[in-house]
Amino acid sequence: MPASTPKSSGKKADSEEYSPKKSQEKKKVVKKETKPAGGDIRGFGAPKSAASTSTAGNGSGRKPITIDDSDEEEEEIIERKPTPKAAASKNASTSSSKKPIVVDLSDSDPPTPSKLASSKTAAPPKAKPPTPKAKPAANPSSKRKVQIDSEEEEEEIEDIKPAKKRQSIGTGMSRSSGKKPSYVDDSDSEEEKPKSKSASKAKPQAKKEKSASPMSVDDSEDSDEDDFIDDDDEVKPKKGKAQPKAKVVPPKKAAPAKKPPPAAKPAKKEIVEEKEVKTEEKKPANNNWRAAAAARAAGPKNPGSKEVPEGAPDCLAGLTFVFTGELESLGREEATELVKRLSGKVTTSPSGKTSFVVVGEGAGASKLKTIADKKIPTLTEDEFFEFIRSREGGKLDEKTLKARQAEEKKIQQQAMEMEKREKELEKERKRKEKALEGTGIAAKKAAPLSSQLWTTKYAPQNLKEICGNKAPVERLGTWLQDWQKNYKSGFKKPGKDGSGIYRAVLISGPPGIGKTTSAHLMAKEAGYNPIELNASDARSKKLVENYTNIDNTSLDGFFQGNGVQSTSVAGVHVDSRTCLIMDEVDGMSAGDRGGVGALNVLIKKTRIPMILICNDRSLQKMKPLQSTTFNMTFRRPTPPEIRSRIMSILFKEKLKIPANVVDELVKGVNSDIRQVLNMLSTFKLSKDQMDFDEGKELLKVNEKNTIMTPFTITDKLTGPYAFSKTSRETLNDRIELYFHDFSFVPLFIQEHYLKTQPALTNNLNGAEQNLKHLELVSKAADSISDGDLVDRMIHGSEQHWSLLPFHAVQSTVKPASLIYGAGRNTGGGGWGGPVFPQWLGQNSKQGKLQRQLTDIQIRMRLKVSGGRSEIREQYMPLLASKVVLPLVQRGSDALDETIEYMDEYYLGKDDWDALVELGVDTMAEALITKKIPTATKSAFTRQYNKTDHPIAFHKGDMFAASKKKIADMGPAPDNEDVFEEDEAVPDEVSDKGEADDDDEANDVTKDKLIKAVKPKGTTAAKGKTKAKK
Amino acid sequence: MSLWVDKYRPRSLDELHYHPELSSRLRSLAASGDFPHILFYGPSGAGKKTRIMATLRELYGPGVEKLRIDQRVFVTPSNRKLDVNVVQSNYHIELTPSDVGMYDRVVIQDILKEIAQTQQVDLNAKQRFKVVIINEADALTRDAQAALRRTMEKYMNNMRLILCANSTSKIIAPIRSRCLLVRVAAPTDDEMTKVLQHVAKKERFQLPSTATKSILSTSQGNLRKALLVFEAMKMQKPDLTGDIEVAKPDWETYCSKIADSIIQEQSAQRLLDVRAKIYELLSHCIPPTVVLKTISDRIVDKVDDALKPQIIHWAAYYELRMRMGSKKIFHIEAFIAKVMTVYKQFNMIGYTEDYE
Repeated sequence: MPASTPKSSGKKADSEEYSPKKSQEKKKVVKKETKPAGGDIRGFGAPKSAASTSTAGNGSGRKPITIDDSDEEEEEIIERKPTPKAAASKNASTSSSKKPIVVDLSDSDPPTPSKLASSKTAAPPKAKPPTPKAKPAANPSSKRKVQIDSEEEEEEIEDIKPAKKRQSIGTGMSRSSGKKPSYVDDSDSEEEKPKSKSASKAKPQAKKEKSASPMSVDDSEDSDEDDFIDDDDEVKPKKGKAQPKAKVVPPKKAAPAKKPPPAAKPAKKEIVEEKEVKTEEKKPANNNWRAAAAARAAGPKNPGSKEVPEGAPDCLAGLTFVFTGELESLGREEATELVKRLSGKVTTSPSGKTSFVVVGEGAGASKLKTIADKKIPTLTEDEFFEFIRSREGGKLDEKTLKARQAEEKKIQQQAMEMEKREKELEKERKRKEKALEGTGIAAKKAAPLSSQLWTTKYAPQNLKEICGNKAPVERLGTWLQDWQKNYKSGFKKPGKDGSGIYRAVLISGPPGIGKTTSAHLMAKEAGYNPIELNASDARSKKLVENYTNIDNTSLDGFFQGNGVQSTSVAGVHVDSRTCLIMDEVDGMSAGDRGGVGALNVLIKKTRIPMILICNDRSLQKMKPLQSTTFNMTFRRPTPPEIRSRIMSILFKEKLKIPANVVDELVKGVNSDIRQVLNMLSTFKLSKDQMDFDEGKELLKVNEKNTIMTPFTITDKLTGPYAFSKTSRETLNDRIELYFHDFSFVPLFIQEHYLKTQPALTNNLNGAEQNLKHLELVSKAADSISDGDLVDRMIHGSEQHWSLLPFHAVQSTVKPASLIYGAGRNTGGGGWGGPVFPQWLGQNSKQGKLQRQLTDIQIRMRLKVSGGRSEIREQYMPLLASKVVLPLVQRGSDALDETIEYMDEYYLGKDDWDALVELGVDTMAEALITKKIPTATKSAFTRQYNKTDHPIAFHKGDMFAASKKKIADMGPAPDNEDVFEEDEAVPDEVSDKGEADDDDEANDVTKDKLIKAVKPKGTTAAKGKTKAKK
Repeated sequence: MSLWVDKYRPRSLDELHYHPELSSRLRSLAASGDFPHILFYGPSGAGKKTRIMATLRELYGPGVEKLRIDQRVFVTPSNRKLDVNVVQSNYHIELTPSDVGMYDRVVIQDILKEIAQTQQVDLNAKQRFKVVIINEADALTRDAQAALRRTMEKYMNNMRLILCANSTSKIIAPIRSRCLLVRVAAPTDDEMTKVLQHVAKKERFQLPSTATKSILSTSQGNLRKALLVFEAMKMQKPDLTGDIEVAKPDWETYCSKIADSIIQEQSAQRLLDVRAKIYELLSHCIPPTVVLKTISDRIVDKVDDALKPQIIHWAAYYELRMRMGSKKIFHIEAFIAKVMTVYKQFNMIGYTEDYE
């Protein structure tokens, strides 16, 4: 063979690539046995039991590979089972027969036991004929697997490399023959069955067949191989993580040198094989699998232990990945990022469109089922890396290519449009300048475009250019167009979308998504002349009334001259074709007293359309506008909606940023278009291209000073992978999270810790899992209890604030590390994320009831010797049966008796209510009040108010209470409310009742315990009259 | 028409039914003219306050029973306004500083000192000093107790203190040494029976011995409870014959429901349900220690003998933590989680880890 040298060098490269991995895996296995539980913080929740299982479970590091076509191959399983154990010394043929399940290059290659780089000549004895070719074939074959769906298509397309294709099919066969059936078709697998059964015998034959066929295209193969070698060269540098794209070869050489003794290899192979067998066995022997998984979990997995391939740029373009379970060395986020960096897509759940599922340990059962159902090819982490390594960059299937081209075209077109417009504007500007030059008028010089902000420069100029929110924008347009018609009909016809009855719209949405822009644009489009008033204009009641004097009911404008017909707003004449845009309505505050109220009045009678814009519609302040405006919500546009616009701007600005980076940027700032543009325009100052990492960095810089809410923090701390071995966060990072809001986070954790299904229990099932869960919960609860003790030292009399970090660990980090995991359905309709801690509410409720109980106790004190707790625990049950239950059982007949008892203990009606409220269980308030008929209740109130009652004492706050009543009567005069027609009508009836009540209370003079309280009634009465005014 | 407990409360030392030797000692103390600071302690429902009032009557005569209630407002250093209820007669004042929680020190410093600094105004008073009763003295914080020390000595001329507590263990030694300790033990069954018979006689009916027995067993030496139960029972079944199931108070049945649900199932979900119930108990003013005790008692009743010591151990362990900490429910929850774990372990494996 003429091309032996290049081939072998390629092979060498391959073998070198693989050997590091093997050795690492080997290392891992060793570590697993020596180190039972992690020594670092991530491991502090490491289960003891898991450690013990690890030793039991033969420590071979079995991997749950998930695809399973075992239906077709079940018979084979039996024969294969024994092989793995004996396979240590076995050669390529056996291992290759095992391939059916996995798209695994690393597995397919080990057959060549060319452990050392130098052993290229010492090709394996049995596998000799196929290996040389097999090596280069690896790449194409893998590619082929990827694009199985479009396989035929591709074959047609790629006539440039027909030979390669052919060859890949041919040579790949020996490896992929078994592989294919799993997702290509069944016929192959059936053919394969006999082969695999007599594996060792059949294999050589198969190889011969395959090696024979490509012979004819041998000549072209050479050129292909060159390609491959190139690929390898590209791959090599990527291996050294630190190295960027520079094509430096040497580091790779160093790598193999470090490799452990070749002996590692057979062992590794064994692992691989076992792993494969495992996959097949999975269904029949579930427990076994669990055990294996447990064994796997026991050992610390070295995050970052594997070299993360850099991959050719765009090499994953057009592919969609799904990650499930926990990967060995990559965290979920990192993996996602990796795929995105290479232009791949990541979705959360597998579907028909998914190209690959990367399966880690502890993958969800339902996901695995979907995968099996839909026959989606799966990869392990190693395979995934290998896949990236082996894949050539920029190879796109036709569809994506076309789509991309189309997009590019569009972008260019848009950019051109922009350019054209810019030029026109420039021309216009110059013309004006020229025209004014001679006149001597100091022309208001428009700034040249180049000095404008990007956000102004590239503000959308027509409907088409608005990113996202198409529907609301269109609706806004129709509303504006129909406005005059609606005005004529008196806003009676709701129209299609119900907007016809409103004189104004209220647009709400987060900042930076184009609300103001859309409003202006649509107003112009509908032929209106927009006037904008925003937070920079004073908008108090008076100003709103005067400046927007659209109805011209005042003579303001008249005396100012200018004519009678029109008034002006902010220097613009108002006529029927004016549209008022009130921006930042929720910013009307302190300085704009009465602004919203005045605005609302204005809306009710406006003769021109008004567009109101705010960020948060649900604010209390915006309440008055709810009923008078048509509500329109703008949402954040999705990255794809923004992408093309941004891309065309970038194109125009000659800034080279790939689409995936743009997507990432957009996502990173929550679709705030303005911020993206600002970021990019700043970036442009220093560089004119950006790669993925730079994009990330830019985002990081820009989002630095965000404070997370306790909800997000809780999510982050207890998420399914929060403390997994691949998590890169340090203890300090987590403590930092606590410090975002250290008074709330511990409460959130306490509220939340029972509501997860801890990831640490994922390896177990049934009762064992429950027990483990309980143990974890108990440990977490202990830790929280410890945390409370620390908290006492901090907030108690000692004030040891330096203990705060310790409190962080005890109250937050440690519990989270034990119970992190997916949220559990806790009843009440699914998992809705962390909830606000009950403790606060319960605590204040306790405080309130405690005060009421103290009240009751102090009243009863004249008769009773007991303290508060004695009253609650011992008296109340009996007392309730004397004064509460009779009402339940006998209704109104029991009233006299009840009131007699209450008087005896100086209890008032309020105390009776408190007494009822304090009950639990069968005496719970809700139950009791339900049982007492309303008639009885009102009879009780009447009866009680009719008669005089002894009062033990007068509380200091009784006067305060009457003062409070005044405040409640009518709200303090507030300009905002002045405009509301429906002024609060004081409740006369209840007033009188209360007044009577007071008087009666004051009449109780016969009791000598009572101090004079005369003034009270009068003050209260006075207060009331005042309020009524 | 008041409850029997209050209706038949003895008013003077002579009327007291039990602890005659204590009564005579108090009488002689009152007569001696050299009345010391006294610390009354004993379990709830043993008759401490009744004896205190009887002693005061002995000191000042019936005028001491003319009680009135006053509410004092004072401002904490952090500018919070707090109300303290003060019960007083012309001759004495009664405070419950623990009502205001951690601010009790301010009550002692402000109010008590103010009272101590003024002399007895009533010239007809039998004694030259006033008496200040401090209820729930064992709930006083350490700071408050420290604030009390000097006041007790300095104003001895104007005022005598009577402290009322359940146990002396939480009262600091300096205070104990300044007081005459008077222990009011819970009445024995015979003594309680005597009281019950007395009440029955006054109410003109016969009290069958079966009823007495069941009352005694539920009340466990708490005479107040016994009388309340007695009345409840009489309401429930006027002839008091046969087997009478004593109606348990609402919170107690609720606690046993919680205990039952713990025994029934052990899981995080169940713990979550239990948490809601405990919140309800606590917010309805059932003291956390009582909740913990009642639940653990009930659990101990129901579990295997081998587990009993362990559960008691954990109950004690977490009760201590609860007292040391501030958010009580955290510790109760930890206790229940522990009990669930231990119980489940025991059921699944047959033994549990050593708890020491």
